[in-house]
Amino acid sequence: MFDFAEMKAALEHGKAAQVKEFAEKALAEGVGAEEILNEGLIAAMAVVGEKFKKNEVYVPEVLVAARAMYAGLDVLRPLLAKSGVKKAGKLVIGTVKGDLHDIGKNLVKMMFEGAGYEVVDLGTDVSPAKFVDAVRSERPDFLGMSALLTTTMPSMKSTIEALKDAGLRNHVKVLVGGAPVTSKYASEIGADGYAPDASSAVDVAKELVKGK
Amino acid sequence: MPRLIDLVRIAGRRLVVPLLGYPGAQLTCSSLKQNEFNPVLHCESICRLVDRFSPDAAFFMMDLSVEAGALGLPVRYPLYESPTVEEHPVRSLADLEAFKVLDPLDDALVQARIRAMELMKERLDVPRGGYVIGPFTLAGLLMGASELAMATITDPDLVHGVVGFCTDVCVRYARALAAAGADMIAILEPTATFLSPQAFDTFCGAYIRGLITEVTGNPGMTGAAPAGDVAGGTDATGGRAGAGARTATGTTDAADKADAAGVRNGSESAGIERTTGATGSASRANAPDIAGPRRADAMTPMMILHICGDTSHLVRNMCATGAHGLSLDSPVDFARAAREADPEVVLIGNVDPVGVMVQETPDGVRRAVRALLDMMEPYENFILSTGCDLPYETPFENIDAFMKEGRL
Ligand code: B12
Repeated sequence: MFDFAEMKAALEHGKAAQVKEFAEKALAEGVGAEEILNEGLIAAMAVVGEKFKKNEVYVPEVLVAARAMYAGLDVLRPLLAKSGVKKAGKLVIGTVKGDLHDIGKNLVKMMFEGAGYEVVDLGTDVSPAKFVDAVRSERPDFLGMSALLTTTMPSMKSTIEALKDAGLRNHVKVLVGGAPVTSKYASEIGADGYAPDASSAVDVAKELVKGK
Repeated sequence: MPRLIDLVRIAGRRLVVPLLGYPGAQLTCSSLKQNEFNPVLHCESICRLVDRFSPDAAFFMMDLSVEAGALGLPVRYPLYESPTVEEHPVRSLADLEAFKVLDPLDDALVQARIRAMELMKERLDVPRGGYVIGPFTLAGLLMGASELAMATITDPDLVHGVVGFCTDVCVRYARALAAAGADMIAILEPTATFLSPQAFDTFCGAYIRGLITEVTGNPGMTGAAPAGDVAGGTDATGGRAGAGARTATGTTDAADKADAAGVRNGSESAGIERTTGATGSASRANAPDIAGPRRADAMTPMMILHICGDTSHLVRNMCATGAHGLSLDSPVDFARAAREADPEVVLIGNVDPVGVMVQETPDGVRRAVRALLDMMEPYENFILSTGCDLPYETPFENIDAFMKEGRL
C-alpha cells in the first residue's frame, strides 16, 4: 500500500519536485494513475482550498501548492489519457474584457484542475466574442468569468447575451465570480452559478450538474 | 517632523478627506488621459474639486502605472479609466539590469506629475497629497503578481532583489514629489493584500519602512529615533532604502546608483524655498489652522500607507512600517483596526468608493458616513475618507452628502 500522507504534505507545502518524485514512485509501485490523482493530488488540493477559506494559508501558498499539483499531474497525464479516465468535466475560464486582475481567476482554475477538471484558460481582458468562440470550439461543461472591477462586470452580461445570440447558451453552465460580484448580480444577469471563493466554485459546479 | 496625528489634533474636529481625484476631470470636461499627460489641466481639475467640495486635504489623481511606465513597461491609457501596465517581463535578477540604466525622473509622465504637484503647491492652501506606488506592487508589475506571490516562497532572493530595486525607484520619485510641494505622500501597495502577516513584514513592510526613512529622514512613528534631526530630512543619506531588509540578501550596484541620485535630488530640494500661500485660488475660510507644523518643517512629507482590499490581518504590521497614517479599504472593520493600531497612527477611511459613493443615493451616503463616524467616535486617530480612490463617474451629490455629513 502506497502511503499518500507524505505526498499530500509535499503538495500542501508546494514542493513541486517532491510531488513529482512521489507520483513516479507510486506509479513504480504499481499504484494506478487515477488513484494517485484522487488520493494524492485532488485530496491535498482540497485541504489547501479549505485552509485558504479559513485564512490559515494565503494566496502565495495556494499558488505554489497548485504548481506542485501540476508537477504531479504532468507525470500522470499521459497515463490518464491512455486509460481514458473520465475527466470530472471541462471548464473554460477567463477574466472579462477591460480587466487585468488574474489572481482570483488563476486560483479558480487551479482548484478546478485540482478537482480533476480539464481547464482552458483564456487569460485576461477576454471579449465576449472570444468567450463565445471558445465555447463553440471547446464545448466545455462550464464557462467561468471573473471580474474585479465594477466597470467590467457588465461584460459578463454581454457575454451571456452573446452566447444566447450564438445559440450556445444552453450548451454551457455559466459561473461568475470576483470580489464585486454577488449571487444577486449573478442571477440578475442570468448566470447559472456564483461562488465567493475558489473552493466553493468547484462545489457549485458539481451541484449544477448533479443528477445529470 | 510634522506628523499626521498632530494635524488631526490641531484641527480640533474630524478632518474630512475623500480620495478625490478622477471626479475632477468632470469639472474640467476632460478625460483621465488628458490629465495624465497635462499637468496644468491636472492641477486645474484638483483645484476645482477643492473649490467645489472643500476637503481638508487634496490628493492628485491616483495612478499605479507611472513608475512602471518610467521604467519602460508598456502602459495602456484608456480615456476614462485608469492606465494599466500590460506586460510583466522580469523573471530573474539579470532581467532587472535593463531597468537600472534609467533614471525614472527623466520620464515625461513622471515629470508631468511632479509639475502638477508644483502647480498645486502654488494654488492650494490645503495640505497637498501625492501618490507613489509601493515597492511590492511595483515588483508585481515588473514580474506579474502571481509570479511575485509564488516567488515569495520559492525564490525569496529574487523577491528581495526586485523589491529592493523598486524601493530605490519609489524613494527617488517620492523625494521629488516632496520637493515639489507634497505635504503628504500615500504609498499605494494593493498587491500586498494577499500576503500573510509574516510575509508582509519580510517582503513588503521592511521596504516600506526603508522608503519612509529615506524620504523623511526619520524612521517614522514607531521608529527608534525620535523626530530630532529633521532639518536635513531629504538629504540625510545615512542608509539605503530598505537597507535593513536588503543587507540580508546583498545589495546591487543599482542601489548605489539610485543612492547617489537620491543625494543629488536631496540637495536640490533643500534649496527650494517653501511658501505657504494664502493667495491660493482654492483657499477656504473655515480651513482648520493646520498650516503651522507644515511651515515649521516644510520639506518632510507625512507618509501614509494605502492598501486596498481586506487588510484586517495586516493592521499591526502596517503600523510597524512607521507610516504616519494607514488608508484602509471598505472591507476593514475600522473599530477593530482602531483597537489594534498604534494610537499615534491615523486611520484613514473607509466608506465604500463604489458600493456606496457611486451606487448609493445621497441618503445612503449620509447613513454610511454617520455610521462610520459614530463607530469611530471614541478614537482620536481617525480621518474620514473613502476606502479607495473615487471613480470618475462618482455623482457629485454623493460627494456633497459625504462632505456635509462629515462636517456636521
Ligand atoms: C492585487 C490588485 C491589483 C493588482 C492586480 C494584479 C493581478 N495580476 O491580478 C494591480 C495592482 C495590477 C491592480 C490594478 C488595478 N486595480 Co486592483 N486590486 C487588487 C486587489 C488589492 C486584490 C485583488 C486580488 O487579487 N485579490 C485576491 C484574490 C484571490 O481574490 P479575488 O480576485 O476576489 O478572487 C476570489 C473570489 O472572488 C473568487 N473568484 C474570482 N474570480 C472568480 C470567477 C469565478 C467563475 C468564480 C466562481 C469565483 C471567482 O475566487 C477567488 C479565490 O477565492 C483588489 C482589492 C480587492 N478588494 O479585491 C483591488 C481592486 C480589485 N482593484 C481596483 C482598481 C480600481 C484597480 C485599478 C483600476 C487601479 C488603478 N487606479 O490603477 C487597476 C485596474 C487594472 C485593470 N484594468 O484591471 C479596485 C476595483 C474597484 C471596483 N470595485 O471597481 C479594487 C477593489 C481596489 C479598490 N477598493 O479600489 N489591482
